[in-house]
Amino acid sequence: MQKTAVQQPPKKLSMHEHKKIGPGQIILLFLIMLFTIFCFAPVLLVFISAFTEETWINSNGFTFFPGTHWSMNGMNSVLRYGSQLLQSYLVTIGITVVGTFFGLLIMSMYAYSISRPGFRFARFLSVFVLIPMLFNGGQLSGYIVFTSWYGLKDSLLLLILPLCVTTMNVIILRTYIANSIPGELMEAATIDGAGDYRTFFQITLPLLKPSLAAVGFMMATAYWNDWQNAQLYITTNAKKPLQLLLINIQKSIEFLLNNNNVPASVRAAMGGTIPQYSSTMATVVVVIAPIMIVYPFFQKYFVKGLTVGSVKG
Amino acid sequence: MQKTVRKKANSGFFANLWKHRAHVVMALPAFLVLLFIMYVPMIGLTLAFKKYDYSAGLFGSPWVNFDNFKFLIASKGEFFLMTKNTLMYYVIFTLVGTILNVAIAIGIDQLVFKRMAKTMQTLMIIPVFISYAAVQFIVFAFLDRNTGMINNVFGTNYRFYAKAGLQYWPLILTVVKVWKDTGYGSVLYMSVLSGIDTSLYEAADIDGANKFQQIRHITIPSLIPMVTVMLLLSVGNLMHSDTGLFYQVTRNIGQLYDATEVIDSYVLNSILNSGNFGYTAAASLFQSVVGLLLMLFANWMVRRIEPENALF
Repeated sequence: MQKTAVQQPPKKLSMHEHKKIGPGQIILLFLIMLFTIFCFAPVLLVFISAFTEETWINSNGFTFFPGTHWSMNGMNSVLRYGSQLLQSYLVTIGITVVGTFFGLLIMSMYAYSISRPGFRFARFLSVFVLIPMLFNGGQLSGYIVFTSWYGLKDSLLLLILPLCVTTMNVIILRTYIANSIPGELMEAATIDGAGDYRTFFQITLPLLKPSLAAVGFMMATAYWNDWQNAQLYITTNAKKPLQLLLINIQKSIEFLLNNNNVPASVRAAMGGTIPQYSSTMATVVVVIAPIMIVYPFFQKYFVKGLTVGSVKG
Repeated sequence: MQKTVRKKANSGFFANLWKHRAHVVMALPAFLVLLFIMYVPMIGLTLAFKKYDYSAGLFGSPWVNFDNFKFLIASKGEFFLMTKNTLMYYVIFTLVGTILNVAIAIGIDQLVFKRMAKTMQTLMIIPVFISYAAVQFIVFAFLDRNTGMINNVFGTNYRFYAKAGLQYWPLILTVVKVWKDTGYGSVLYMSVLSGIDTSLYEAADIDGANKFQQIRHITIPSLIPMVTVMLLLSVGNLMHSDTGLFYQVTRNIGQLYDATEVIDSYVLNSILNSGNFGYTAAASLFQSVVGLLLMLFANWMVRRIEPENALF
């Protein structure tokens, strides 16, 4: 599998330069463009509806072309969630940053250790990290053990720990260390008197950057988008991440749709109005925008840093 | 004689361990996380053979042997249904997904408008970064009875989120899955394509092979190892579904369960609504064991065909 590693220099463009642009190219461009629109249009729709007048959506439905019916009301009503939104943002950013950095550190140390030549225990450690991918207890067992044995209820640890070490990520890091970082470099460091820790932190870790960027970004996305652990474990408002806020919004809409006579006190608690189409979409914008802004900066690492290897060896 | 040999090997092992103590220390944090997050919960699967009693806890609950499994099989309807759905969606998603991933990768690779290809690829990948909790609202904007775009554009009155819309959900879920994962899924294949030696194409060009022949005889064969690996990895997850897709996108609407309930969403519902944990654990154990067997089988298969692509 190591041979799938991308170490070859990027393909030279010269291969295409002498070709003239035939009808095949135009058809291909058209097809891929069509697929791109299919992928991106729904995302665009979120942004458009977030800034469309509520009454317009109510009477005409969601549309890409709301004409002149733009409005900031949706965004304003999201800001009305005010402190809860801010709090959820802080929770999400907190678990994303802490989880990603902590996970990257302990996984790369693990990957480094199991790729050391002559370290006999590495075999066991390789198998140890592989098994959870083959067999695991599933959500229910996790739920029971975490809540009743560890006594972790409503704890942010349950948003961080379950996602911070994954078999695939350890394998990716290990493959990168084995294939793309020359072993002689680390040997040389040892000969020069650098201890094991120093070799790792000053030689291996800096060279591991492309892989760390790719894995780290995927981890950050996983943390940012994790709704399942939040829904299972988090009950206090102060600890609710953004995704749980989104889910609660949907639940409250459903509740209000199914109950025509909602008491005024409940309405007041929800900020005076029932969350509506445009404000829901505005919330979605608030939740997804940060990733969309950061992602292009990490895209170049995807191919370079995400090569999967095998754990054998 | 043999004893002394083993003893020697053992002491060598511990000497080796001591020599590499720094590596042991460095592996320890991740080891502990794996132990407590992944391994200890495996004990929870014993619940499959118990009748869960909240007050007695995991160990205190009484054993009931295979009663939970008997119940699952006896209540044919639901267990059969969610297993069927899990398998059905795995097959559809894997088939459609792999074909599209490869097609898009080849398409983008062949395109001479490199700048444009790059931009389009960037846009294509975006959906993978949107959580299903958010995707759910996007899908709603298309499918809602009153405000949904599909009903408005075609002047129809489909009720997708009710029993009447049941038949459309396999298609809807497939489209959502393709929309979300294809862009990102093609990146891996693109990385393989960019590694193909260009002289192969040049030689084929000189020999008079046209574009389609080149794709068939050079591009596709070079993608086979990666396709094998990705399929292998996915087979191990056969029993696991994208929970968000089946729980969030379908809004967990009971009327749609016939077409949308999978084992994972059943388990999640059971936890959130305090269902019968014994049955749920039985379903989980079934899921894990079948998953394990499939993974071992798939790895064994790949080992026979392409040893260096085997996972372990």
